[in-house]
Amino acid sequence: MDAVQFLQNFLNGISIGSVYAIFALGYTLVFSILGIINFAHGAVFTLGAYLTYSMSVGQFGIGGLLAGCQIPFQFSFPLSLLFGAIISGVAGVLIERLAFRPLRSRGADPLLALVSSLGVALVTVNIIQYLVGSEIYSFPGDVYGDIKPAFMFHISGRIVVVRTVQVIIFAVSMLILTLLGYLINFTRIGKALQAVAENAATASLLGINVDRFILYTFFLSGFLGGMAGSLVGTSFGIAGPYFGVTYGLKGLAVMVLGGLGSIPGAVLGGMVIGLAEAFVPTEYNAYKEAVAFAFLFAVLLIRPQGLLGRSQIQKV
Amino acid sequence: MKRSVLVTLLLTLCAGIAHAENVTSPIPVGIAVAQTGNIALFGQEQITGARIAENYFNKSGVNGTQIKLVSQDTGGDEAGAINAFQNLINQEKVVGIVGPTLSQQAFSADPIANRLKVPVIGPSNTAKGIPQIGEFIGRVSAPVDKVAPHALRQALKQNPRIRRVAVLYAQNDAFSVSETATFQETLKNLKLEMVTLQKFMTTDTDFTTQSTAVLSANVDLAIVSGLAADGGNLVKQMRQLGYKGIIIGGNGFNTANLFPVCGRNCEGILVAQAYSPDAHNPVNKSFVDDYRRLYKKDPSQFSAQAFTAVQVFVEGLQRVEATTKKKITQMELSVVRAELNKALRKGSFVTPLGEISLDNEGEINQKTFYVSEIKMDANGKTGKFVIVK
Amino acid sequence: MEGFLQNYGFLLVTLVQQSLLAYSLYFPLMAGQLSLASPGFYALGGYIAAIMATVEYFAPWRNALGWCIFPLEWLIAGIISGFLALLVGIPALRLRGIYLALATIAFVEILRVICLNLEITGGAIGIFGIPQLFESRWSYILTFGPLLILTLFFSYRLDRSRVGRAFKAIREDELAADAMGINPTRYKVLAFVIGAVLAGVVGAMSAPFLNTWNARQGTFDASIAYLAYVLIGGSRSMWGPLLGGALLAALPEILRPLKDARLIINGLVLVFASIYLPQGIAGAIGRIRTITARKPGSVRSPK
Repeated sequence: MDAVQFLQNFLNGISIGSVYAIFALGYTLVFSILGIINFAHGAVFTLGAYLTYSMSVGQFGIGGLLAGCQIPFQFSFPLSLLFGAIISGVAGVLIERLAFRPLRSRGADPLLALVSSLGVALVTVNIIQYLVGSEIYSFPGDVYGDIKPAFMFHISGRIVVVRTVQVIIFAVSMLILTLLGYLINFTRIGKALQAVAENAATASLLGINVDRFILYTFFLSGFLGGMAGSLVGTSFGIAGPYFGVTYGLKGLAVMVLGGLGSIPGAVLGGMVIGLAEAFVPTEYNAYKEAVAFAFLFAVLLIRPQGLLGRSQIQKV
Repeated sequence: MKRSVLVTLLLTLCAGIAHAENVTSPIPVGIAVAQTGNIALFGQEQITGARIAENYFNKSGVNGTQIKLVSQDTGGDEAGAINAFQNLINQEKVVGIVGPTLSQQAFSADPIANRLKVPVIGPSNTAKGIPQIGEFIGRVSAPVDKVAPHALRQALKQNPRIRRVAVLYAQNDAFSVSETATFQETLKNLKLEMVTLQKFMTTDTDFTTQSTAVLSANVDLAIVSGLAADGGNLVKQMRQLGYKGIIIGGNGFNTANLFPVCGRNCEGILVAQAYSPDAHNPVNKSFVDDYRRLYKKDPSQFSAQAFTAVQVFVEGLQRVEATTKKKITQMELSVVRAELNKALRKGSFVTPLGEISLDNEGEINQKTFYVSEIKMDANGKTGKFVIVK
Repeated sequence: MEGFLQNYGFLLVTLVQQSLLAYSLYFPLMAGQLSLASPGFYALGGYIAAIMATVEYFAPWRNALGWCIFPLEWLIAGIISGFLALLVGIPALRLRGIYLALATIAFVEILRVICLNLEITGGAIGIFGIPQLFESRWSYILTFGPLLILTLFFSYRLDRSRVGRAFKAIREDELAADAMGINPTRYKVLAFVIGAVLAGVVGAMSAPFLNTWNARQGTFDASIAYLAYVLIGGSRSMWGPLLGGALLAALPEILRPLKDARLIINGLVLVFASIYLPQGIAGAIGRIRTITARKPGSVRSPK
């Protein structure tokens, strides 16, 4: 591989990797506080994409209850993206209230949370399908306004291409990551969240309302999931209500790679997997889907706490 | 609540054990396609086509007797297809079944229907070996090697100087894999050089690698076998990166779902079609009119093939009445099924797909195929397939 | 009766089949190991049977053995699954709780992508035209039924055996078990292998039952479905997987009249069952029957 090819793969990798990162962060936040995996996160991803589509385009096709409908009002794309993520955040809160809190308050087997969150995912995905069918919905090319769809750079007689969508994805993801980093490290809420994640019982003794912070966490998680879904959706279209499933699984791999519950780890994990996928030679492209899981498997065997995780999580 | 459901279920079971019953009126025709799950995209189009057929043919029915389309969801898996088939055959007492959506599901469920001697018409099963499952299995979806080569010949007509060709396909999609084999075979026969072969997955969303490979291979023609979402994105990204040559899309491109995916970049893609909304015959005109009225767009090949499958059953039933000189509803169900299966394989049908017939194995003989070029509207969101002559 | 079997024979056998797969997850869980690898071994077993039943290379075997080729397929599928489980299990079972679950998810996905790309597995189309052991679907109860009885008998004996007690000791407290002289790794791997062999054999039996086999068999969704069977059936009772598997696998079919909405309701049932049946159905039945009996302790956190 020469330098130009390397640069191209690198650019592709960090763009998709940044989405993986913010998506996996949604898992990570919930895991760091509750120690469980929210299997409905992939469904929230899907929901976010559909919400953003509804608000910015709002045209529905032949299937489902809303077949042939056109939503009468539209927002600009950035606003739709923001509202979509906020509503996804609210959905995250609802998921916590419906599927996680009742189990927690009964002291049930934590494994049951996997089943109940999967149940919520099934409900969400099928409600989406019930409403808007399973067609492909795509954002029109001019959704960002009049920007060229791709920029080309000539380097030593070769071309390196950057698609506008890739830049937007990267920029938005970085913005979100920066804001989140600020929120977690430099605000009272963030510090309280860290305290809850460290030890919920102690935090509660210190007068922190743990349940409220769990809700905040689920809101943030849903917000990030919905945002990631919308970004992927604008770039590649929404390929039906099940399109979050692959990302849902990949997000798990990203989270584990970085270290369960580690926020910088999720970012690093996203970048590593995004880049690894981009560097798969085309003749082995068929195995690209397995890359994230091969990483996951290898990391678990060699360094179970992940790249940046703390080994004490694996206490007995 | 759950118990009451179970009790009703048991009651219906007991009611359904009579033997040697007659066909009920209206005549039940089954359709088992995916209405839920990750392939529901296709199933929904099939249902719309079949429903239009039901209304259309019920204007006169089978010599006055109405038909009733009974649908059962197969979901996306094999067991779901078997359950749907069993349900239609044993409980709904259908005379024949349209379905299932995927070839893999057909390999699973069709043998069941064949053993129970119920005619099946596959509306979208294009894999090799489907009609060979058994004597009761047929299809109205032309296998891929009959359709694909037409597009290549058209491309050569547009640009006779084509020499270097890039071939791309989705390797986790069964249809695309067999389609690309046909394309490569045809390339060889036409003495064209395949300079690069690129693979992708239907779940892929980023095609920069493939696109750059095509660009650097300096080709005059790119042939893409994939589904609408991935294939459309591939074309979009290839064009955005500056590919200027001709693009041939496989059968997965043969749907209006493609237009929003690649937008203006869809312009000019050549697609070989087993169905075109512009085909001239009265059935097709009426089908397309109904479809446009209901859904404000042109019907896809999936819808048209499902319509055709229902039509073949209705006309088959009419032929059964003609030969046996009896009303379908006065005949025993098993007799109707056997006679219907025979009738399907005799004579031809004028359908939205043009004139077709089924051979003794149940394989479709289709007279006309089309090559269309995509023309996008000014808004860049909608477009149409225009037949090139 | 004949009509009933024709109608629901396939479904009933499917319920037995799904319950068996639930047991393949139940055994590792007995030793406190959340393994979601069952769909992988199920797929593997199916491929082995499908290949042995269709590939030219095995034609002389098929001719020589007649119907005996089927038990041979089950045997080989079981052996290969067990062997692979040993290979994967020894390193993977150092991991605990959710880590093991994730490692096994990765294993299933990797296996799926490989099967999708190999020629011998038929690529994306898979393998079809698999020779049949029986004419009607219902008759397949003759293979799955005895396997279920065998499995039930096995878990009944296991429950009362030294090995079973070791499993439970590890589930309750691995360190304490280790201190008492139980080698946790050995028993954990054993539990994992038992589950894998069972899943492999079920897969081998399922290939002719479904007529065809492809990479869509045994995916991540299936992993969680089996987990739901066990937990909602009751992970502390040997009858739990049977109850859960049969009821939850029947649910989408019972809900068939609801058409498009059936999977929405299916999801709601999962949520409410998790909340209101925390000990599973078997646990709830047990509680009703012996209210005075010692309350079964809640399963420990997987951490």
